[in-house]
Amino acid sequence: MDAIQNLFMGFTVALTPQNLLFAFLGSVLGTLIGVLPGIGPVAGVAMLIPLTFQMTPTGAIIMLTALFYGTQYGGTITSVLLNVPGEAASAITCIEGYEMAKQGRGGAALAIAAIGSFIGGTIATIALVLAAGPLTRWALEFGPVEFFALIMLGLSLLMGLAGKSMIKALMMGILGMLLAMVGMDPVRGLPRFTFGRMELMDGIGFVPVIMGLFGLAEVLENAEKQFAQVFAAKMSSIIPSRKEIRDSVGPILRGTVIGTLLGLVPGMTGSASSFLSYIAERKVSKYPERFGTGVIEGVAGPETANNAHANGALIPLFTLGIPASPTVAVIMGAFMMHGLIPGPFLFKEHPDVAWGVIASFYVGNVILLILNLPLVGIWVKILKIPYGLLFGVILAFMVVGAYSVSNSAFDVLVMTLFGLIGYLLRKLDFPLAPIVLTLILGPMMERSLRQSLDMSQGSLGIFLQSPIALVLLALAALILIAPAFKLFRRGKGILN
Amino acid sequence: MLPCRFSYFGRMVTILAVVVCVLAGLFLSSPARAAGFPQKGKAVQMLVGFAAGGSTDVGARILASGLEKELGTAVVVVNKPGASSQIAYTALTQARPDGYTIGNTNFPSAVVSYLDPVRKATYTRKNFEPLALHVVDPGLFAVKTGSPFKTLREVVDAAKANPKKVTISTTGIQSDEHFAILQLQKMTGAQFAMVHFSQGSAPALTAILGGKIDVFCGNVGDLLAQFKSGEVRILGIMDNEETPFYPSVKTFEAQGYRLYGSSSRGFSAPAGTPKEIVNILSGAIKKAVATDEHKKRMKEMGLTLRYLDPTQYTKYWDEYEATLKELLPLTKE
Repeated sequence: MDAIQNLFMGFTVALTPQNLLFAFLGSVLGTLIGVLPGIGPVAGVAMLIPLTFQMTPTGAIIMLTALFYGTQYGGTITSVLLNVPGEAASAITCIEGYEMAKQGRGGAALAIAAIGSFIGGTIATIALVLAAGPLTRWALEFGPVEFFALIMLGLSLLMGLAGKSMIKALMMGILGMLLAMVGMDPVRGLPRFTFGRMELMDGIGFVPVIMGLFGLAEVLENAEKQFAQVFAAKMSSIIPSRKEIRDSVGPILRGTVIGTLLGLVPGMTGSASSFLSYIAERKVSKYPERFGTGVIEGVAGPETANNAHANGALIPLFTLGIPASPTVAVIMGAFMMHGLIPGPFLFKEHPDVAWGVIASFYVGNVILLILNLPLVGIWVKILKIPYGLLFGVILAFMVVGAYSVSNSAFDVLVMTLFGLIGYLLRKLDFPLAPIVLTLILGPMMERSLRQSLDMSQGSLGIFLQSPIALVLLALAALILIAPAFKLFRRGKGILN
Repeated sequence: MLPCRFSYFGRMVTILAVVVCVLAGLFLSSPARAAGFPQKGKAVQMLVGFAAGGSTDVGARILASGLEKELGTAVVVVNKPGASSQIAYTALTQARPDGYTIGNTNFPSAVVSYLDPVRKATYTRKNFEPLALHVVDPGLFAVKTGSPFKTLREVVDAAKANPKKVTISTTGIQSDEHFAILQLQKMTGAQFAMVHFSQGSAPALTAILGGKIDVFCGNVGDLLAQFKSGEVRILGIMDNEETPFYPSVKTFEAQGYRLYGSSSRGFSAPAGTPKEIVNILSGAIKKAVATDEHKKRMKEMGLTLRYLDPTQYTKYWDEYEATLKELLPLTKE
């Protein structure tokens, strides 16, 4: 097949010592940036662009894209070991991964996350090579109307996060929605709930909030106990057990599909993909009540999804010249600054660059797998550091990280405030996952609803005119109504 | 006062240290002096109101590296994103007017931030000292290739005949596209159904290529890839000259609509910066943008260089502000 031939040609480009070195550098830097809380892939790629001016276009882009998907590998590490989200897309891994770490299975969690990430990233790249055309055409079907329906489906799955108390989950969901309303409204451009502070005009920053809710709240809670008890469980083998591997197969496959498909849609973020994967796993699991106690499915799925998303988001760049996410937009800038315009004709005019970069996605994922798996043993040793010393370092990193997002001390205040809020919520046994869900999906929902109604000038009928939207909305309605049917049947049974 | 257990020697050292510090403070915090600007080793800070990696940021960084050579001192870009650059503009207008802090001033975000009362800006036009205009990104209308609209006139006529039925994209409320479309509506009586994509041009591009909206309103720098691959048909450029990036595309003016819209990026210093320093900075920018290297990089980014010196930039600013003042109430409807 033509594509396979070209791919082989691409490998000859990607595997030159120089380009291998760039892929390696990008991977290492990406992992480090992922580990550091606060600084994310966007800032990392942006800061390196001037350094790449001296490099060949192929080398520069190989390094920057390796950095991009490398951050998705690194972000897992602090999420699992310390409950501090390394970056936005790894937030959901905190929920299950950290529980596993406390039970001594942190090594296994990291290992499965690395393997899942590799599989997700690689399959997304295979999709790019084999099915870029049809996938892109599919992605183009998602205008504001379809996007809104997709988000509604995601929100309907909030029911699945209920756990012990439906009421508490709903309360947290609404709290997240309220928090999502802060900022300039998309209708009139009037500030909402900003209390006159311009820092709030773009909304409460997502990264400082999750760093507070998860990372800082955890530190505060641990401060109550004897430090020796924080990681009391003996660290078991870092190699995942057979059962854990078996249980991860399904989540990894599902996460790959979710991540790749959602990565194609501009406007969908990696955190949304990983979150939706988490909810999906919870829904299909035979033991949903075990979620929250440290189940491997809750790590395997989301981590695969966010890597598949990162690699999937690169597809529209090559097929349409459209960046599907902010980080890809920066990579597009990198292309342009080296005199290349990304798009379908790149394959005709500069096939060596195009296929070289694509081949390097495989190479990069392999490098990252090799980098991350053996390092798991080293990373988990962090937990052996006496917590009395460790928590100070964690706090310092979080403060610097929160500040570095926008060079803003205000974000540090936000993180602190949400650390206190998160601490209180935990004490009162409220689940945190629903807040994150509505905080991510709320603004997307409002924006796409507004855009849809602008298109139809107020008529709700526009949602009925799109087959994709109809299907998604019907699914959402089914998911919401289903529990009522169960209740009804049970009620009937009692009457008999 | 010092505790008694401090030795006599210790007290003397402490008092001496305090005196030295006070004297140093007095001497080092002298008012801005043009002679010797910029001092070697003292970095000039360039405030950019958008996140690292975005188009504005990259353009600023490229200029910063050129400026370093002209000024002979480090020029450091500091990103202060948020509130459509209002955070950066606030920091800029509150900085010391000694020439060591300059900042990106983009239109329309800079002007809107102080004209719109809901933004509660702590500054006005008077707090800025314009240094230079750097680049402009002229506005344009485009449709998907294969769309029934073949010319600009057809689009406007359709919007006149079917009010609020022709959908058109912008990059947000009070964006340069929003103002341009409002002006066009005023000029022709056409009424468009504006759809605001505040996350940037990528979702708008997807919507146009997917056939979800009729017309794409954006800037020259947005469509380089799509024009090359033939996916879009660009109907007109909102400038007084055609753009080298899209040869064969006529201006709005040439097609009968005197519409000039663009988003532009310039640089300013805080008001009160001495005239000599302003001239040094502006002259350095002028030299930095004239190099072949700089021109090449701007061209690759799809940006149109258009240097204006402080006087010309001030005039441009005043004219732009007057236009926006008229249109601002319309954006609230």
